[in-house]
Amino acid sequence: MTEAASAARTGRRVSALGLLRVLWRSLFLQAAWNPRGMQNVGFAFAIEPALRELYPEPAARARASERHLEFFNCHPYLAAAIVGGAVRLEEDVANGAADARRVSAFKSALGPPFAALGDGFFWLALRPAAALLAAVLEPYLGLWSVVVFIAVYDGIHLAVRAWLFFAGYSRGEGIVAAVSHVHLPQLIGFLKGWAALLAGAIAGRSVVVAGLPHRAWHAVLIGGLIVAMAALLPRIGLTAAVYTALALGLALGGGFL
Amino acid sequence: MRGVAELFGTAAVAAVIGGLAAVERKGAFQLMLSRPIVLAPLLGWALGDPRGGLVLGVPLELIFLGGVNLGGSLPDNETLLAAALTSAVVPAGIAAGTGVDAPLAAFGLALFYPLAIAGRRLERATEKHNAELSDAALSRAAHGDARAARLNLRGLLLPFAVTAAICFTCAAFSPLLGGVRSAFPARLSTGLTGAWHAVWALAAASAIRGIRDARAPILAGLGFAATIGAAALLRALP
Repeated sequence: MTEAASAARTGRRVSALGLLRVLWRSLFLQAAWNPRGMQNVGFAFAIEPALRELYPEPAARARASERHLEFFNCHPYLAAAIVGGAVRLEEDVANGAADARRVSAFKSALGPPFAALGDGFFWLALRPAAALLAAVLEPYLGLWSVVVFIAVYDGIHLAVRAWLFFAGYSRGEGIVAAVSHVHLPQLIGFLKGWAALLAGAIAGRSVVVAGLPHRAWHAVLIGGLIVAMAALLPRIGLTAAVYTALALGLALGGGFL
Repeated sequence: MRGVAELFGTAAVAAVIGGLAAVERKGAFQLMLSRPIVLAPLLGWALGDPRGGLVLGVPLELIFLGGVNLGGSLPDNETLLAAALTSAVVPAGIAAGTGVDAPLAAFGLALFYPLAIAGRRLERATEKHNAELSDAALSRAAHGDARAARLNLRGLLLPFAVTAAICFTCAAFSPLLGGVRSAFPARLSTGLTGAWHAVWALAAASAIRGIRDARAPILAGLGFAATIGAAALLRALP
């Protein structure tokens, strides 16, 4: 942080309530997601309570709001760090310690790498792992398996989202170092490994259930179908796969073949 | 008259929950309450049979495990399918007295799966509408409106309204589906039970694919072997 920016910490600041309002509104980041500006309207909406405190004059506030309506795209959870960091930088701008272009540069520099991290961790690792854990436990826990899914996924997601927001606000541009210390790529590999084991266990259970009682031939058919579908899915697509599975199951199960 | 009022109430509940789920899926919170594994049992509970919802939700979750909305790419809309399917099938199972059994679940999936694709079109339409909102917000801000970004929340209206309308319709027609289920001949019921087993097989295959990791087939094979081994061991025990 520059000396001027350090001195500016004593100038206009966003209140704790204002920060909580921004955090709440950041949960609506994608409400008006669009192909042109992506999360632009959501970002401007999220940061509005902070701008209201920093720029009491409506004309200055409108100008600040307009610069947050620029193109912005990130993972909706990881974006919390950028929203928090942008609030911090807006404080510097409002106090004359930084140029407004620094806010835009910060957003556009962090958006893509944070998007890739968030997609990889939350969409492609944590969510499948949590869902597969719940699916494996479903025969034993029944409806409680849904609670397991929500507790595992949202327990991590909400804690990370809140941490990122406040870390972004307190560290500003230093958030990059904080996120890099979390070692997300290693966690992704670990979660995906477990998810694959659990998916295999579900495949095994499907075969066992189809073979009961005393229908070994059905079990073999279902096992074959799993292998065939896993191989064919990328080529035929999900819709064709669903109807092929339904038709095959109907024909074989009903003795129509 | 009472039956009609009850059906209207059921359809209204399905509409509200389905609509909220559509909003939660992308526009707000993203707590994953709109994922089939949560939405179907939740909606099933509201309609009188949470376990029936769970029967539908778990395989749907696995089928759509790999569907990810990355940037501009749109996967099939698992939320619309789960909401509509549950809205129709759970009350139908109650009406037929069978609950959500394998034949009804398989029949419902065959009937309503196209909604997953229709949901993608709904999302494209929402994005187009949101682009207009973005333009309007930019124009307002340029003219000095400091509250221009509040247009953001209007982006939630279209997915809510369309999904709610679809769920309402599905629930309203559920007695018809219940009647059809009651009329299934035994052979068709057996066939549809086989179809539901096949759906589970597809769900497992889709889940393995959905992990998108080079090690997935090997690790899944290990999980598969361990499960079969454990089942064989349990069977061999006296």
